Amino acid sequence: MDIIGNILYDTIYHSAPIILCVIGGIFAYKANVLNIALEGMMLIGAFVSTLTAFMTQNIALGVLLAMLAALAFGVVFSLMGVTFKGNVIIIGLAINLLASAIAKFVLVRMNTSNITLSFMNVADLKLHIPVVENIPLVGSILSGHPLITYISFLGIFFMWVLMYKTRFGIYVRVVGENEDAAKSIGLKTDFYKYAAILIGAVCCGLAGANLSTERLGLFTNDMTAGRGFIAIAAIYCGQGSPTLSAIYAIVFGLARALSVNLSIYAGPAAGLFDVIPYVIMVCVLTVVSVLKHKNNKIRGFKNE
Amino acid sequence: MKRLDFGKRLVNSILPVLLAFVIGGIVILMIGENPLDTYGILLGKSLFTVKGFLNTLHYASPLILTGLAIAVTFKANIFNMGVEGQLLLGAFFSGIVGTSLPASLNPAAAQLICLAVGVICGVVFALVPAILKAYCHVNEMVVTLMLNYAMIKVLEFLATGVFRDYSSGYVCKPIIKENAMFPRFGNSKLTMFFFIAILIFIAMYVVINKSKLGYEITAIGKNPEFAEATGMKVHKKIMIMMVISGALSGLAGAGYMMSEQFKYTLSFSGNPGLGWDGMLIALLGGHSPVGILVAAIFYSALKTGADHINLYSAVPKEIVSVIQGLIILFLAVKFVDEHTNIRERLFRKKAGKPETAISEEA
Repeated sequence: MDIIGNILYDTIYHSAPIILCVIGGIFAYKANVLNIALEGMMLIGAFVSTLTAFMTQNIALGVLLAMLAALAFGVVFSLMGVTFKGNVIIIGLAINLLASAIAKFVLVRMNTSNITLSFMNVADLKLHIPVVENIPLVGSILSGHPLITYISFLGIFFMWVLMYKTRFGIYVRVVGENEDAAKSIGLKTDFYKYAAILIGAVCCGLAGANLSTERLGLFTNDMTAGRGFIAIAAIYCGQGSPTLSAIYAIVFGLARALSVNLSIYAGPAAGLFDVIPYVIMVCVLTVVSVLKHKNNKIRGFKNE
Repeated sequence: MKRLDFGKRLVNSILPVLLAFVIGGIVILMIGENPLDTYGILLGKSLFTVKGFLNTLHYASPLILTGLAIAVTFKANIFNMGVEGQLLLGAFFSGIVGTSLPASLNPAAAQLICLAVGVICGVVFALVPAILKAYCHVNEMVVTLMLNYAMIKVLEFLATGVFRDYSSGYVCKPIIKENAMFPRFGNSKLTMFFFIAILIFIAMYVVINKSKLGYEITAIGKNPEFAEATGMKVHKKIMIMMVISGALSGLAGAGYMMSEQFKYTLSFSGNPGLGWDGMLIALLGGHSPVGILVAAIFYSALKTGADHINLYSAVPKEIVSVIQGLIILFLAVKFVDEHTNIRERLFRKKAGKPETAISEEA
């Protein structure tokens, strides 16, 4: 019983940053901009939040600056990709490399290999919800997460409203479906693309702050370890729907939680459990894709 | 007309590099060092001494191969991001074969076997995303990226557990036997591997520029639906491209193992990894083989120079990674394309200065 509780708690714990990336990234997906810079934006968010907290001992300021740093990367991305019409895949890749390079450069200048926030205790950041906390099992799973984890789950609902119930969401989707049609009715397509990318950037910054400062009080370089790409895979599987994509993100969180919890029993083969989430993602992507193309009778090769 | 086109492509490749160096220079100034001295060390030690230049050529050899591996698929708009994973797998297993072959074997045979194993591993690993892309329409970019991470974890497991050399203090597998190593020429690091890379380069030049397959790759890159409609079997071509790409990356890994590293460690391909460097080189060279050759040598000079920066100045060598990221960022934007009139464009640049706007943002 205890291990099931642990696995479910860890599922929520590991899903949170990916969910944040997913619900931010779906807007760019719907606006037909392939944003593979999620990873870099998350990494710079993680780095800036920890660095700021380390310098000023102020965690709230760290989270705020993390969002601003990710926003700055988002501005660079959209400026190069939307205004100057560069290849977004290459720009995304460059931003991922740049984020890692900047973090490494600053770390070397500071003469450390990682930043540890020794002034605070991570356990203090965990919120205990008064009533829920006392329910057996459920309480231990739902209570005791840091603030941004709760924000990420509430964010799924918020982004669903923004995407489907507001004028902004509709216009973003129109721009993605048919840019010429959107232009013909007088929408500023570039504005909606910018907005879609920047929403994603802010969410990624938040995810980064959650990953490093709030959960571990620690930053090591390349600690995002492909979570941004997993978020992209989840967005593809869920075809940009906030709820469906978030469910795929939780599936990844579950796989990760399983690998962490079961590795205690596995001994030396524990390292192999880390492979499970990636393989699951590839399998899910394949199944979704096969189902999508099952009834496709078009001859030949269609480019997506 | 053709000469003008070439000039425009040259401007498109050189301008981003210059911009990145300028921004890198500003960063170096900000930490209180002299950027001109730093760049002098960076390029002088790696290009203008005989030993340095031969070492540069040596480090360029795997980069030429990975650059070509990326270019073959990217030219057709198939984004094989798995070059890094394919390279590591090829290197790992060629290393294992290299240690387990009998020491009495003829060196040429041993080297050939190791290279073949590397190539086969690269091809097998590239087949997975190739089949998924060609027959199940799965986005190859996400799959190759995922498989990269999975492969790195699997190799980490194999290197720390099954094949670990417990006599050494850190995680690595045993050193390959002497007959599987490429002998070095003189006191530089240059080996046979560079000439193998050049042979492959010539072969790929013929394939891409003169053969039917090269034409088909370009056609698929321009418009796959049209290519299919004119009778090319796009599925099959995707498989062939991915196999070539996997073979080249596997060869690069095996060659790097046999000419430089001799054993698999967790930081085998360095940071950010030979596969990612290959992507930069393919972009820098504009996906054309000759461009890739020049770009690989230039980039390798940056890499060998980075070590000298650490030795002779107070600037951390990580500045080179920053410059690398900036180069890719600026390469994504075509400052000049086939339709723009250079003179008009230059005039407008003076008036509007679009580039300074970008550099301020970055």
